Amino acid sequence: MASFANACRLSARLTARQLRQDAAARGFRSSAKVMAAQNFTMPALSPTMTEGNIAKWNVKEGDSFSAGDVLLEIETDKASMDVEAQDDGIMAKITQGDGTKGIQVGSRIAVIAESGDDLSTLEIPAEEKEAAPSPKKEASTPKSESSSESQTEATPTPSSSASSEASAKPAGKPKKQTYPLLPSVGHLMKEHGIEESAIEKMSPSGPNGRLLKGDVLAYLGSISSSYPAELSSKIEKLTHLDLSNIKVAASAPAPAPKPKPAESIPEPVIPQESEIAVPISMQAVLDVQKRIQSTLGVFMPLSTFIARATDVANDNLPRSKTQAATADELFNQVLGLDTVTTSAGVRGTFLPQITALPSADPSAPVKPAKQLDIIDILSRKTRSTSSGLASKPLPGLSNSVNVFSVKVPKGDEKRAQVFLDRVKSVLEAEPGRLVL
Amino acid sequence: MLRSLLVPRAAARSAFKKSSSLPAVIAPSSIARWSRRGYATEAEEKDLVIIGGGVAGYVAAIKAGQEGMKVTCIEKRGTLGGTCLNVGCIPSKALLNNSHLYHQILHDTKARGIDVGDVKLNLAQMMKSKDTAVSGLTKGVEFLFKKNGVEYVKGTASFAGEHEIKVNLTEGGEKTIIGKNILIATGSEATPFPGLEIDEKRIITSTGAIALDKVPESMVVIGGGIIGLEMGSVWSRLGSKVTVVEFLGQIGGPGMDAEISKAAQKILKKQGIDFKLNTKVLGGDATGDKIKLEVEAAKGGKKETLDADVVLVAIGRRPYTAGLGLENVGLETDEKGRLVIDHEFRTKLPHIRVVGDCTFGPMLAHKAEEEAVAVVEWIKKGYGHVNYGAIPSVMYTHPEVAWVGQNEQEVKASGVEYKIGTFPFSANSRAKTNLDTEGFVKMIADAKTDRILGIHIIGPNAGEMIAEGTLALEYGASTEDIGRTSHAHPTLAEAFKEAAMATYGKAIHF
Repeated sequence: MASFANACRLSARLTARQLRQDAAARGFRSSAKVMAAQNFTMPALSPTMTEGNIAKWNVKEGDSFSAGDVLLEIETDKASMDVEAQDDGIMAKITQGDGTKGIQVGSRIAVIAESGDDLSTLEIPAEEKEAAPSPKKEASTPKSESSSESQTEATPTPSSSASSEASAKPAGKPKKQTYPLLPSVGHLMKEHGIEESAIEKMSPSGPNGRLLKGDVLAYLGSISSSYPAELSSKIEKLTHLDLSNIKVAASAPAPAPKPKPAESIPEPVIPQESEIAVPISMQAVLDVQKRIQSTLGVFMPLSTFIARATDVANDNLPRSKTQAATADELFNQVLGLDTVTTSAGVRGTFLPQITALPSADPSAPVKPAKQLDIIDILSRKTRSTSSGLASKPLPGLSNSVNVFSVKVPKGDEKRAQVFLDRVKSVLEAEPGRLVL
Repeated sequence: MLRSLLVPRAAARSAFKKSSSLPAVIAPSSIARWSRRGYATEAEEKDLVIIGGGVAGYVAAIKAGQEGMKVTCIEKRGTLGGTCLNVGCIPSKALLNNSHLYHQILHDTKARGIDVGDVKLNLAQMMKSKDTAVSGLTKGVEFLFKKNGVEYVKGTASFAGEHEIKVNLTEGGEKTIIGKNILIATGSEATPFPGLEIDEKRIITSTGAIALDKVPESMVVIGGGIIGLEMGSVWSRLGSKVTVVEFLGQIGGPGMDAEISKAAQKILKKQGIDFKLNTKVLGGDATGDKIKLEVEAAKGGKKETLDADVVLVAIGRRPYTAGLGLENVGLETDEKGRLVIDHEFRTKLPHIRVVGDCTFGPMLAHKAEEEAVAVVEWIKKGYGHVNYGAIPSVMYTHPEVAWVGQNEQEVKASGVEYKIGTFPFSANSRAKTNLDTEGFVKMIADAKTDRILGIHIIGPNAGEMIAEGTLALEYGASTEDIGRTSHAHPTLAEAFKEAAMATYGKAIHF
């Protein structure tokens, strides 16, 4: 029995929020009967729920229900739950019938009226879009008042909605306090035994719909219920510059101003890439390979040569044009130190793609350099040779030619060219040094 | 017009590139890619052109750079940072801090058990350390410009057209910059005193007051506002006989809470500054060895002559828009020279906006900074926000004075019922251990809702402590919210908490 009661309470609590909002909103209205009925929307039964299916309605259109009655059963991917009525009322219209699937949380599933409402004269409200927030201000409309309005999502603007009389626009906006309550608020509620669910009945007057101590005091009746909102609007005034009553100085004759369109969206810049390719003969490498095998009896795979050549060639490359300057370099520029130190080269990260040209010599298969061997990286050898080698690029094609290519962003072609020339010279001129 | 001239040239160049500089072996696909470029890259038009590289201008420039806008900032001083970094907040704080140290060593360390031998002032070195701080910071701003891709143009800008800014370059020559949006952030200058010619040697503004080459024997400060009191403090600590002449009945300017102002006056008086309140300066004569200032009680008419080696004119600041060519585009200023704007900082030409000292609102660097961010957001996102009701003010004397929100006079005038809680630093443990117990925290809250309306602090470190008050105000907090928030012990901030407790209930330690 206890567990059953518990379950009921749980489901009640889950939906209480939703229903109370509706109820609270209605409460603002001076005469409910002439007003439209309430939209009843798909409640969120868990914080992560985004949509649900209606298993079964337990009430029919026109049925009265009282607080605590199970209105319908909702299925989600995780569970099925009963939705209980929070207040007495009448089911005016069911817009999503039994078995409807995939209904978004917040979209209308029914229309409910207050008990005693005459359904025949009842005005069915238009479907509100999910959590229709306080109207988003048009980007540049020069709304003279309160720019702090509409700065956050679903919270109602405090000053207007909090004037708890019917004149305001209490369209059932959620007054959910989604952050920890202020210490004073929490304390007052405990002290007066106010349940947390009562928060939705309070009118927050703080910035961005925050519930303040004064709002709880107003709810408790210890101060006038409209006072917090009045104070808020006074404070709100101070948050703006007073730009009224500007006395313009007598000015020189002005040419007629013609406002221009403010912004045009720039075309997105597509990063340009180019491919640099150099044909490199592997003949010298093959020779060395053969020699090593014959003298030392060790087989050195071609990939080792290529990886090492890549490593050597990557060293001390000219700086990439696309690479952003480091903070130190920028600061040195500011201090004027950039001209003093000759900017040293930077290590590149090129990895050439190798495609074999149809070779006259099929006995020389070329293994593509897939990855740098970690050992090679760790035992970085023959670095010092690179600069000397780079100075004599070898022209022309030779046997077992492969095309080494790298892709670089626009502007870096030169850098890639330097890299490939080095690879070429290392592999074609003295590949033996790569293994010494 | 300009763009149409540029496009063919750009196209021509890229065509040239295609034919000549292709590497020997290249994939055909990349040739196709190349032919696509050539548009728009050469356009001179900037998304945002900012006139003024002060706090408003440089913050807006960096923010705009971060938002991906093409932005140019024009500054004529030669260094960025404006008044604040070059001749205002920053150098004055360097002098305030160091002169305080000197003063403390001279008068205070003995009681603390530190015997110091011969103490001498090396003013040149003190100025040098100030300059080091300043140049480090201005260079830092320049670095941030580079980091965020802001183009920095050194020169004097004026409007040539609605979107066209003509710059007289500092290094010679002229340049025209086209801006889709233009931001005026030209700041302010010290208001001169009629009849006294500023030479920044004997008759000085705040600019001269941070660069005197010797300590004057006597100094008269015209204007008992924050600038006057800060600079008066510096030179008083270094040995000048300082007299502050103020037209109003209180020091610290009209924004300072009257009770705090009285307390500050008492403490500063004890430190050796003389005050002549409700006193009008009639005129001065700087021809003699000493400057003679004729003053008169504002009501009552008793005349008197003050002698001074140096006169500091600190009667406020006024918007600086001279030479900007506002008339060329028909922009309006009000009677005080402030550029007329709307709530989105727009002038009547909506693409020209104004922030900082040259428009409305308090002339504070951090206010300008808030506006700078907001204005870029207005341009970029269509919405920006500055809460003018929660902008703190700080006076960096010793003790410091800081406040945020309304003062008691203002609350009283607004007709709101209020209650007040105070807590003296003499009852705060940390202040006691520091032997620095002057001052108190004062909170003003709505009597019914307990919502904080204003917080006023005079005391050690008030300027840092006010940040908490600003946050509380921004969040609409009540004093109880502060009182129920833990504050570390032993800290000066505990006085802040206790003042809050005293407002809604009772302080524990007082």
